[in-house]
Amino acid sequence: MLQVDGLTKRYGELLALDDVSLTVRRGEIVGFLGPNGAGKTTTMRAIMQLVAMDRGTVTWDGRPVDLATRRRFGYMPAERGMYARMRVRDHLVYYGRLSGRSASTAAASTDRWLERLGLTGRADDEIQTLSSGNQQRVQFALAMLDEPDLLVLDEPFAGLDPIAVDTLSDLLREEVARGTALLLSSHQLDLVAEVCSGVVIVDDGRVVLRGEVSELRSASTSRVVAVEFATVTPWDTAHGRVESDDGRRYRVHVAVDTDPEVVIAEARARGDVIGYGFSPPDLSEIFLAAVGRDHMEPAVVGGEVR
Amino acid sequence: MSTGQRTDEPGLGTLATVRLVAAREVRERLRAKSFYILSGLLVLVILGIGIGSRFVGDDGPGTIHAATVGPEADRMADAISATAEALDREAEVRSYDGSAEARSALEAGDVDVVLDPGDLVVLFADEIDDQVLAIFQQAWASVSIESGLTDAGLAPDQIESVLSPPRLEGESLDGDGGDTGLAVLTGTLAAILLFVSLQTFGGYVLSGVVEEKSTAVVELLLARVRADQLLAGKVIGIGVAAMLQFTVAVAASLVSLALSGVEVPSAIWSAIPMTLVWFLTGYAFYSMLFAMAGSLVSRQEDAQAASAPILTALIGAYVLVFTVGYIPDSTASSILSMIPPVAPLLMPMRMAAGAAAIWEVAVALVLLVASIWGVWKLTGRIYAQVLLRRGSRITWRGAFAAAAGRG
Repeated sequence: MLQVDGLTKRYGELLALDDVSLTVRRGEIVGFLGPNGAGKTTTMRAIMQLVAMDRGTVTWDGRPVDLATRRRFGYMPAERGMYARMRVRDHLVYYGRLSGRSASTAAASTDRWLERLGLTGRADDEIQTLSSGNQQRVQFALAMLDEPDLLVLDEPFAGLDPIAVDTLSDLLREEVARGTALLLSSHQLDLVAEVCSGVVIVDDGRVVLRGEVSELRSASTSRVVAVEFATVTPWDTAHGRVESDDGRRYRVHVAVDTDPEVVIAEARARGDVIGYGFSPPDLSEIFLAAVGRDHMEPAVVGGEVR
Repeated sequence: MSTGQRTDEPGLGTLATVRLVAAREVRERLRAKSFYILSGLLVLVILGIGIGSRFVGDDGPGTIHAATVGPEADRMADAISATAEALDREAEVRSYDGSAEARSALEAGDVDVVLDPGDLVVLFADEIDDQVLAIFQQAWASVSIESGLTDAGLAPDQIESVLSPPRLEGESLDGDGGDTGLAVLTGTLAAILLFVSLQTFGGYVLSGVVEEKSTAVVELLLARVRADQLLAGKVIGIGVAAMLQFTVAVAASLVSLALSGVEVPSAIWSAIPMTLVWFLTGYAFYSMLFAMAGSLVSRQEDAQAASAPILTALIGAYVLVFTVGYIPDSTASSILSMIPPVAPLLMPMRMAAGAAAIWEVAVALVLLVASIWGVWKLTGRIYAQVLLRRGSRITWRGAFAAAAGRG
């Protein structure tokens, strides 16, 4: 189990991390969310022991993370980086060996991952000759090589097409099912909602929200009334904040105790309603509320309340 | 390769890690076309110099093609050959019965010079060669004296002892003798070679470090290896690749020397092992400083500016060779040659001149090795602090402050 406790880091005047704590268990996928500059990358670097902290600890199974421990952590930095002129296979084997594997073990897991990612045919090509999508796959393989205990992936899906995202998230699920703990940061909130069991949302270096996605949604102090008109229909209501991209489909954010029937009745009076719904806010709405300094109060839900 | 770690447990030690990093460096460099192109060019240039100097060298003293005439012709021929040999020249002498035959051989170009004792004349085909004239004079004198002594009734072995007195040896008031010029030449050559190699190979390390930082691959690496391990592996790996290139250059130089026909003074050979020691230590010292400079910048374009202080130190040491290095016995020379950044360039010069005491060499080496250790640890610390800070160039002051800030 990865346990990050009270990380604090100051860069001059800027308080980059302020008492950041989080936990990732084996077999669990935790989404690490936050606007740019919130402190996600710094936290992930701290987990990999790449930056020294002013305060706080990072432990794996209760022991402080050292070089030997973090060689069992797969890492994908926000800034992708590989030796452009190295051959794909050489690069993976080299990295496997730096992780402490024997030459034969490193070669075997390299071949296994090249196969899984459909890169076997490119094994002897230089990295720089690969398309950016394939380079991203190699970067993935570097992190996943040799059954890591923990995966720390900073924006793993950035710049990938939907098919690649699908394949790679399946691979990630397999790794996690095997017992790997996975912490990933992403701006693709639908995806996070789909693959992650828990989320930690940071803003300005502080954790503002944490918990299981489903619990966060149901515990939210707001609900969404969705209304779809047959044609473009101007509508404004006093019941809550109104959102619409096309003037036809509306999402109205209402308080949790609002009767949705009243809102829908109001909509029917405006025009031809062909569909409606009532649900907790989705993850992106919770996220926006948590970091957007909106009228909604950040909530703390789930097992990891501090 | 015995890593001592056959298991798959992550127990990779510093030595094994450094070796992995260094091995990648060597492998990748040997895979690059530029390595072979550069080595090939180097070999071509060196061989070119050798072949070129052979043609230039042909204008120097060569074989004397001479003719002798008269009853003593054969004895004269022997005497000329012997005298010429004593002066490091070869002579090919033919004897003719009459002056007319000898002269027509001279006109036909079969020989270059004719000695006609009857006329007391040495006749040259074109320019008069003073050394040849002196050789003939000496040969003619010894033949004449031998004839005189035989006529006086001396036995052949008595004549031999009169004609071959003990050889005289040259000595100089200057102690070690007239080799000062050669020592200066050897020392200067070593300094030039060291300066060029340190600058070139240091440049390789510089751009290698910047490559790792600019491509951000360094973040991936530092998740697996400590900064000082990465640094040591890089410096050693590039050093090995550089030594391969260096060896090719030396081999080409030997072939080139053979082609040129120039004789190599033995002092050069004895200077090679020590030059190698200074090269290795000097490389370790300067390349780590170049690596430190490289870690401060995120783009190859900024690398030159960041490494300027290192290059200045190297050039400063080089300039000292041509100033205090030429007065190797002075106190200034003695002290400067023991200071780490200067030692690799200045000490070989003083050693070649025979001016460096053993203790001075020992002190210089101990200080240099100690500073290599210090620079390695310091650079490792700076590395760890700055390699992930991409963007604008980090100042030297900022880097030292960061290194002092934490362990």
